[in-house]
Amino acid sequence: MRKLGKMERARIDVTGLGKTYGPVTALTGVDLTVAAGSVLAVLGHNGAGKTTLVDILATRTRPSTGKASVCGYDVATHGHEVRRRIALTGQFASVDETLSARGNLVLFARLLGAPARAAKARAEELLEVFGLTEAADRPALTYSGGMRRRLDLAACLVGSPEVLFLDEPTTGLDPVSRTGLWATVRHLARSGTTVVLTTQYLEEADRLADRIVVLAAGAVVAGGTPAELKARVGARTTTVTFRDEWSARWAVEEFQRIGLAPTLDPDAYTVTAALPDAGVILALLRALDRYGLDLADLTVTEPTLDEVYLSLHRAKWQQPPAPAAVERDTA
Amino acid sequence: MNARHARTTRAPEPHDRTGWTGSTLRTQVWVLTARSLRAAFGDYRLVFFGLLQPVVLLLLFSQVFSGVGSLPGVAAYDGYINYLMPATLVNIAMITAMGAGAGLVAETYTGVVGRFRSLPISPVSVLLARTFADTARLAVQLVVIVVAAVLLLRFRPDGGPFGLAAAVLLTLVVGWGLSWVFVAIATWQRNVELMQAVSFIAMYPLMFSSSAYMPLQNMPAWVRAVATVNPLTYAIDAARALALGRSPGWALPLAVLLAMVAALGGGAAAARNFRRSA
Repeated sequence: MRKLGKMERARIDVTGLGKTYGPVTALTGVDLTVAAGSVLAVLGHNGAGKTTLVDILATRTRPSTGKASVCGYDVATHGHEVRRRIALTGQFASVDETLSARGNLVLFARLLGAPARAAKARAEELLEVFGLTEAADRPALTYSGGMRRRLDLAACLVGSPEVLFLDEPTTGLDPVSRTGLWATVRHLARSGTTVVLTTQYLEEADRLADRIVVLAAGAVVAGGTPAELKARVGARTTTVTFRDEWSARWAVEEFQRIGLAPTLDPDAYTVTAALPDAGVILALLRALDRYGLDLADLTVTEPTLDEVYLSLHRAKWQQPPAPAAVERDTA
Repeated sequence: MNARHARTTRAPEPHDRTGWTGSTLRTQVWVLTARSLRAAFGDYRLVFFGLLQPVVLLLLFSQVFSGVGSLPGVAAYDGYINYLMPATLVNIAMITAMGAGAGLVAETYTGVVGRFRSLPISPVSVLLARTFADTARLAVQLVVIVVAAVLLLRFRPDGGPFGLAAAVLLTLVVGWGLSWVFVAIATWQRNVELMQAVSFIAMYPLMFSSSAYMPLQNMPAWVRAVATVNPLTYAIDAARALALGRSPGWALPLAVLLAMVAALGGGAAAARNFRRSA
């Protein structure tokens, strides 16, 4: 093993990783590297192989082909060493529902080797940080989705994991809980924890990750920083709704005049156009204001995961099959 | 709302704080057994019906089959209850052992076992804890049913309190061994319905093609053949002999040996399956 400083050493190194369940290929030829203290988002639909990838890295499943190491230890041969350094939360790794939040946190602390008193103290600390003090003695069974997710994350942080795996941490959460969870993940990454999270939302990956890999049908179809990926995927879209059809038709010309390619929906009085950059919005509003056009609504939407997939497929069809499509993550 | 506020202003300090990266096997088994016991005895409804079930079973069998008491081979026991009761102990052990497997599957389903599998703890301690907790549950059940049988059904074993205690102790050993078989099935199947289907297929022949309810001499030849290779027959014979103050002969060491073989074989299979992919 190379002697490198803690922060520069790659925490996760994956080459040629594959997993088959009988005739089903869940993962194939995955290469990636995650630097210490960085956040990797694994983006993909259900069944893309996200959970399988996390399960292999967390030593819950053995790879069929290829190699993966976490914190310098091979997941297939040194699982115990890996488990000493990671924490995992997701749909298949949860808490004891019959125990309270406090009971769960004390249990996990004890299992990690904390003496009884220290385990209790750590549990109190985490209960407070995650806002679970009031519900601390109720069985986890009675918790709301948001509370459960907070407890799951708290359970992960009982020890001092070097690498944290979060399998779809915000699926099913309300917006406020989601923002709270994002803040926690950012804070953890800033204080040196390496985070791997899976998500179906480009927006989430964009907000949290230093690097993103896109999985489709078990293979990495794209990778890079959020900015690189968004540049490849294309622009955000604006949709402007007017009070009447006449205004909408008039606006189309204004859109064109500042260099956009608008689409008119005369029945809904809306005009939609892709935005090359955020600055165009200002020019657009000035142009519309000059003629006193009255807006009913204006929205700017991020590209969705579907658009990511579509644009990647378009890129594949337009170019000869280039290895660039499977960009290596070399952090 | 100030909970959320606290969360964003005072996030957890994860690094270089605790240095907890693993515990000893003894701590693991102790902590996990305590957890399972709390779960088993925490819900008074579960405790009540769990204890009621074997009593109902015993009442039904002792009354429905009371005519068996006059059959040759049973008459010498001075009442069917004396013949039936020691066998009932072993059968309760079997049902509780099956519960150990079902419980493990249920926990895999709710996800806490999933987290255990990602912690730096030994799979053996997770499984050991499960079987210890279930054996503790079994001990309470056995005491309750013995008291019930003595008070309600005029169970008067010739072996006295010591013989009875020996029979209960043997049953605990057998029950512990059996629980490993069902834990192994649970780690192999991981599906509650399938697990139960497989377990029932294993359970009924073991329970009925044995000397539990009727002496072997009254059975058709082929059932007798099955019963002689049924390991439970030896456990039942040994428990009966101990309770009734007779010499158990080879049945006792054989029953203990079989329980140990079940524990070792089941344990090895379960530990291997436990780490295997979900």
